[in-house]
Amino acid sequence: MVLVLAIGDLHIPHRAPDLPPKFKSMLVPGKIQHIICTGNLCIKEVHDYFKTLCPDLHITRGEYDEDSHYPENKTLTIGQFKLGICHGHQVIPWGDLDSLAMVQRQLDVDILVTGHTHQFKAYKHEGGVVINPGSATGAFSSFTYDVNPSFVLMDIDGLRVVVYVYELIDGEVKVDKIDFKKTATASAH
Amino acid sequence: MLKGKKLKLPDRLGSLVAGFEDKDEDSGGSGSVCELGEELEILQPTGFRSDRESETDDDHDHNEVQEEEPMVKRKMKADAELEHNGRQPRHEKDGSSHISVIKTIEADEKRSDIEYEISQKEINLEKLQRIASTGIPEGGNLRATVWKLILGYLPPSRDLWEKELSENRKKYAKLKEELLLTPSELARMKEEAFQSNEHNNAHSDTAGPLIRHEISHEDHPLSLGKASVWHQYFEHTEIAEQIDRDLQRTHPEMKFFSGESSFGRKHRESMRNVLLLFSKLNPAIRYVQGMNEVLAPLYYVFSTDTDEKNASNAEADSFSCFVLLLSDSVDHFCQQLDNSSVGILSTLSRLSDLLKANDEELWRHLEFTSKVKPQYYGFRWITLLLTQEFNLQSILRIWDSLISSPFGIQEMLLRVCCAMLLCVKSRLLSGDFAANLKLLQHYPEINIEHLLQVAQDLTPDTSYYRMSS
Repeated sequence: MVLVLAIGDLHIPHRAPDLPPKFKSMLVPGKIQHIICTGNLCIKEVHDYFKTLCPDLHITRGEYDEDSHYPENKTLTIGQFKLGICHGHQVIPWGDLDSLAMVQRQLDVDILVTGHTHQFKAYKHEGGVVINPGSATGAFSSFTYDVNPSFVLMDIDGLRVVVYVYELIDGEVKVDKIDFKKTATASAH
Repeated sequence: MLKGKKLKLPDRLGSLVAGFEDKDEDSGGSGSVCELGEELEILQPTGFRSDRESETDDDHDHNEVQEEEPMVKRKMKADAELEHNGRQPRHEKDGSSHISVIKTIEADEKRSDIEYEISQKEINLEKLQRIASTGIPEGGNLRATVWKLILGYLPPSRDLWEKELSENRKKYAKLKEELLLTPSELARMKEEAFQSNEHNNAHSDTAGPLIRHEISHEDHPLSLGKASVWHQYFEHTEIAEQIDRDLQRTHPEMKFFSGESSFGRKHRESMRNVLLLFSKLNPAIRYVQGMNEVLAPLYYVFSTDTDEKNASNAEADSFSCFVLLLSDSVDHFCQQLDNSSVGILSTLSRLSDLLKANDEELWRHLEFTSKVKPQYYGFRWITLLLTQEFNLQSILRIWDSLISSPFGIQEMLLRVCCAMLLCVKSRLLSGDFAANLKLLQHYPEINIEHLLQVAQDLTPDTSYYRMSS
């Protein structure tokens, strides 16, 4: 049972001052084993905050990140799954699922975590699964002002992943669950 | 050359014990044969000063072996005499072989006695308790079986053993399943039981957005609700970590418990399950550092059981017996109850009263002169049932007496603690606060049989009977 937090696009301090308090109260150290961050934090303080939640932190660079040393994309293996991270502003058209699928095949991963659109998405195609945790602060994006804060927590347990989606809708936290299994064919790469 | 003209020793002795003449100068109080004999008597009870846990203790056994008696006794007298003068007695090997033969004969007799008792259809627990309090011989599965019987885990009717054992072991397995699984495993098992349609859809290869299911506020990992499985799981990870740390430190000198072999790891894993389960079933006390030490002898005895089936179920058996063993004293672990009538402080004051009733001089010296209160040394003795004061073999012997005592475990424990104080009386009387504390917190090695005999012979303290209902 490995808990992986997927979070990103906070845009602190430019577009939002902080995480919503209801999210902050839930994110306590000691529960999460890995953090995957899609990018656009943007400042070091946010990086340090994530480090206190969990020492194992993986970040890729968003276009507004002040630390230019984050990589463009990253892959890691957790349990039986290969995960890939990419912020998404490099993939044009932004948010296009076919283009993202191409990136996924390039990185050769089962789950691709990407951001930039500030919209939560969980999509399955032959190459694997694409997850977009949205924006944790509800920061406005280039397409829309109306953004619900959201993030994702994945529970990786053997060949099965349970994805918990946390969204702040009208001031209340709503949690949804998605689960999928890794099939034998998908692993034949 | 011989110091006293009165010295009349049998020739045999003189020839055996060479170098006897050498000790002329510091012979001190030695003289005739009669004096040697007397010396032996006195040396016996005060023999705790000597660290030799060997031949000089089984005085009462010699009556059984008539023809060897005079030889042995005289050898022992000479030995005692020599030792009293600070020399190592010679021909110790010869003497010890005599003594060890006597010991093995006695042990064999006891073994067959116990085996006879437990082979009865209806076991006479009282009789078994009496034999067991003199010590259970090693080997076979005697200790494991006797402990299980006296603690009440096994019923006295032999026919019911199979049934009881398998029932209890099944109960344990079920408890483990309920309480020790991670929440994700639990959720997975629930889903597999339902075989829901949504689950089947996830298998299909059709591309598309994944289906979202709404869940309650308790059902996710970050839930802060008290009733949430996840929340409870995370609360227990802290306890689990503490248990792991303590288990690493349990009996580090023994391969059974320590080291990275799969053997040691398996045992630590089993003990971890027992302790974790106990902490979940007793939320008021949870896990307290030291419970691992109390569990260790139980688990050790049960897993070294020569019966295969028993040894492999040692985890389940030691869980139940651990609960039974602690049933009286579990309140000692609860900090809130410290000052209450069932707490540790009350028990410690009973220890103090017991000491007062038996040796007022020592009590006065400890309480007032050197101001060594029982809390400073007795806390660990009592809560951990003396597991930290002696090595494992001694603990097993002491626990034989504790468990089978007709007074009950707690009463006997207080007696043994009092005996421990009495046995180092002379050192305590001559020590100040620091020296006494140091002595009691690092209790010296002594003859366990003697200690238990002193404990057995203590005058009970009747003052508290008046207060208790």
